[in-house]
Amino acid sequence: MPSVIVCPACDLAHRRTAEPAQGRSRCVRCRALLQRPENASIDTAIALAVCALVLLLLSNAYPLVALHANGSTREATLIGAAGGLYSQGFKALAGFVLLTTVVAPLAQVATLLYLLIPLRLRRHARGEGLLFRLLTRARPWTFVEVFMLGALVAIVRLSAFARVVPGVALWSCALLMLSLSALTSHTAPGQFWRWVERSRQ
Amino acid sequence: MSAPITGRSLGLLVCLECRSTVRGGTAAQPRCPRCFARLHARKPHSLATTALLLLGAAVLYVPANVLPVMYTNTLFDKEKDTIMSGVLVLLHSGSWPIALLVFIASIVVPLLKIVVLSVVVYSAWRRSPRRRQQRTELYRLVEFIGRWSMLDVYAISLLVTLVQIQSLASIEVGWGAAAFGAVVALTLLATRSFDERLLWDPAP
Repeated sequence: MPSVIVCPACDLAHRRTAEPAQGRSRCVRCRALLQRPENASIDTAIALAVCALVLLLLSNAYPLVALHANGSTREATLIGAAGGLYSQGFKALAGFVLLTTVVAPLAQVATLLYLLIPLRLRRHARGEGLLFRLLTRARPWTFVEVFMLGALVAIVRLSAFARVVPGVALWSCALLMLSLSALTSHTAPGQFWRWVERSRQ
Repeated sequence: MSAPITGRSLGLLVCLECRSTVRGGTAAQPRCPRCFARLHARKPHSLATTALLLLGAAVLYVPANVLPVMYTNTLFDKEKDTIMSGVLVLLHSGSWPIALLVFIASIVVPLLKIVVLSVVVYSAWRRSPRRRQQRTELYRLVEFIGRWSMLDVYAISLLVTLVQIQSLASIEVGWGAAAFGAVVALTLLATRSFDERLLWDPAP
C-alpha cells in the first residue's frame, strides 16, 4: 500500500497515517473525505440488499395511491407513473422516470446481491470489476427519495378535489428509500474492494 | 510560500472509482490495479463537456418554465399550468409548506445549479486562485441537491396517471415537463463531468 494518499477532490498529497478505525480523515485543504472506516460486515450488506429487494418488489407490485371520484377508482403504480407519460407520447421523459425510479434501484440491488453472495463464500462472481464499476455509475441515478416527495405533492394537489387513499407501495417506497441509503453507505467502493482483497488472501 | 505537494507533482494518480492512490507509470492508458478502472490525471475534456451540457440546460430552462407542464381538462374548460402557476395553486389551496418545497425544488434549484456550475467552470478555466474553498463548497452543494429538481416531474407523472375520470376530468402532459426533465438530466451530467481538481490546479 503506498505511503501517500492523494485527495481525489483537490489533488493534495497526504502522508498516510495509521488507518482510522472509527474516525474519518479529511483533506486538510478542501475538506473532502479521504478515508472512512472500512470495517462494515458483508453479512449486514447482504441483509440490507435482500431487504431492499423485497421492498422493491412490494413497491412495484402494489399501487402507490388510489383516487376515488364519481364512484370510480383509479390506481397508480410506480411503473404506471412512467406508463402514464408514455401513453401520452412523452417517451423519452417516461424512459427517464422509469430509469430513475425502477431500473436503477433494481439494477443496483440485483448487481450487489450477484457480487456479494459469492464473495461471502470466498468465491468471485464473473465480471466482478466491470459490474461494480457500472454499479458506481448507476448509483447517482437512483431517485427514490425524490419520487417519494413528488408523490406527496401529487397527493396534496389531488386531495383538494377527490378522495385519495395511499397504497401499500407508498409505505414500502418510504422504507425502500431508507434501506437503499443504508445499503449505499455500507457498500462504498473502498469497502467493497477491501472485501475482495480479504477473500483473495 | 512553496507550492503545495500534489499528486501531479509526485506523479501519482487517484482512481475516482475506488479512491486508491496509484503510481503513474508510463502506460499509455493506465488502469487501477485494484478495480481496473481507467485512470486519468484529470477527467478528459472536463471543462468543454461541462460547459456544453450547461449551455443546453440553460437554453431548455426557458421552455421548461414558460411552456405549460400540464393541461387540466374538465367538462367546462381546459386549464393550463406552468411550473410557477402550479406553485400558486398549491399556495392558494392553503398548503404553503408544499408550495415552498415545489418552488425551491423546481425553480430555485435548477437556476442555482446553472449559475453555480457556470461560475465554477469559469473560475477553473481562468485558473483563478480566489475563493477556491468557497467554490468547492458551492460545487458540492449543487452535487448534493441536484436530483431534487425532478420532484415536479414525478408529481405530474402521477397526476396524469390518476386523473382520467372518463369525460369528467383528465390531465395531459405538456412540453414544459419534457423540457424540465431534460434540464434535470443535462445538469446532472454536467455536474458529473466537471473535475473538482481543476479548481485547485495552479496557473501554469
